[in-house]
Amino acid sequence: MNLWRPYTKAMLANGSLWFWAFAFMAFWLAVGAFVESSGVGPGRSAVVAYTTSWYAVIVLLSLSMLAVAIANSLTYGSSALAYAFRFSRLTPEGYFGSIVGGSAVMGAALSFVLLGATAGMFGGRFRLLLLPADPAGLLAVSLLGGVFFMALAVTMILLVINYLGLKSTNFTGFLPLVLSITLGNAQIYLALPSWFVYGSPFNDLASLLYQGYAGTPATVELGAASVALTWEYLVVGILVWTAVLGASSLVLLRQIRSRQLEEGRQI
Amino acid sequence: MAVLEVRGLEVRYPRASAPALRGIDLSLDRERLVVVGANGSGKTTLVRTVLGLVRPSAGWVRFDGRDVRTISGETGVSTNLAEVYRLISLPVRDLVEIVARLKGGDPAELEARLREFELGEVLGRRLFELSTGEQKIVGDLFAVSFGPRLVLLDEPFDNVDFSRRRRFVRLIRELRADLLLNTHELELIAQLDGWRLALMFEGRFLGPFAAADLDRLYLTRGTRADALAVMETSLGTFSVTRDSGDRPVKSATSLNALVESLA
Repeated sequence: MNLWRPYTKAMLANGSLWFWAFAFMAFWLAVGAFVESSGVGPGRSAVVAYTTSWYAVIVLLSLSMLAVAIANSLTYGSSALAYAFRFSRLTPEGYFGSIVGGSAVMGAALSFVLLGATAGMFGGRFRLLLLPADPAGLLAVSLLGGVFFMALAVTMILLVINYLGLKSTNFTGFLPLVLSITLGNAQIYLALPSWFVYGSPFNDLASLLYQGYAGTPATVELGAASVALTWEYLVVGILVWTAVLGASSLVLLRQIRSRQLEEGRQI
Repeated sequence: MAVLEVRGLEVRYPRASAPALRGIDLSLDRERLVVVGANGSGKTTLVRTVLGLVRPSAGWVRFDGRDVRTISGETGVSTNLAEVYRLISLPVRDLVEIVARLKGGDPAELEARLREFELGEVLGRRLFELSTGEQKIVGDLFAVSFGPRLVLLDEPFDNVDFSRRRRFVRLIRELRADLLLNTHELELIAQLDGWRLALMFEGRFLGPFAAADLDRLYLTRGTRADALAVMETSLGTFSVTRDSGDRPVKSATSLNALVESLA
């Protein structure tokens, strides 16, 4: 038994999600296109690299916002889930599959509208047609990104619900976002070693998004040389992380504790 | 084997000076029990613990012999606690559809009941947009729908208007299910023919008695030889007796007030 359809409907019809995960992110894309772009260029390849880097980081942020927002809903539904797993046909696997499936669809939708916004704004700024090289690949990476971020956010929020208490919710909710900003930008501005990029799910996703948009592999600096990242390793990296976090989520979901929302108040 | 069996149930909340439940024993097998007690006596904690939403510090709960800690897929048990229906933020119509699927029932049954209770209009609203009384009666109707075998009702009449209370009492009297109903409203118990009655005070169970005997029950300070039950409280020892005693149970606005008046 799963609730994939109602959860997907609830996400797609959620105006707040669209505002923060799309409109707010589109604002930052505008900053990238029109405010911070003065030193870019010359040449098409430099513009594509700049545009794609912005797109990859913004999609990471958008997906992490989506995941944190959805996972936080678990704090409102902890009693409902603890009850439903005992006294209904709902199983932890069915529930997890439902929210992961819903967020994968929502993540793909967000990724594509952000793609349109990126192509429109950066294309307009640089007067170039900046269409993605591999739309199908981007769709696959966005779906995978939605699943990864949901598994991460659900694991974190369930650790809070089951062990730490709801007072920690406000603080742990920032972690996926902070990690996305830090690691996404680190790949752009620092010479990260390739082993670090392969091992970091945030950088795996950013690199795959880059490759899907630009059509060329993302690179890391190695001394004076630039080394192309292998997409197969990036996919394996993100799949392993998603599997580990997904399994953790299921274990924690089976033990979910009923909590009263008032517990989450700081004062 | 009893549908619901509870033994030695004890709950201690962190930072509370006294346990919320103290050694509750309870068994339901094709019967109905009304639990009467004042606010804070432990009635809601009992329902939440029986449903596995509160972890007991001692004792156990079993449904058809299966421990509540490990049970899954038992669609025959239901409750009116609003918190268990907050699975998703969608209008009540969608929630009805979802709960029906999860319980293996037909959403039309609950939609018809809501209309019968003149609540058709709530279908387009979300749970948090309903008034307190509407939330309560909607939870009550969720609990009794989709063919439950055991229904746990926590204060089902709180904030519910008189006409819907009457209709709901009629509905649960006709329901073919075991019932445990918590209330602090003594005047409704007269309508529950054939039910058992338990009094709850400071987390302890007293009884069971016949609900029809409520008018004949008295509370007396101290231990009486003819006591039906004796309870040790923080205010002293009290006996429940039939037909004579210090104060009739029915005369009190609450069990707490009654005990305090005798202490």
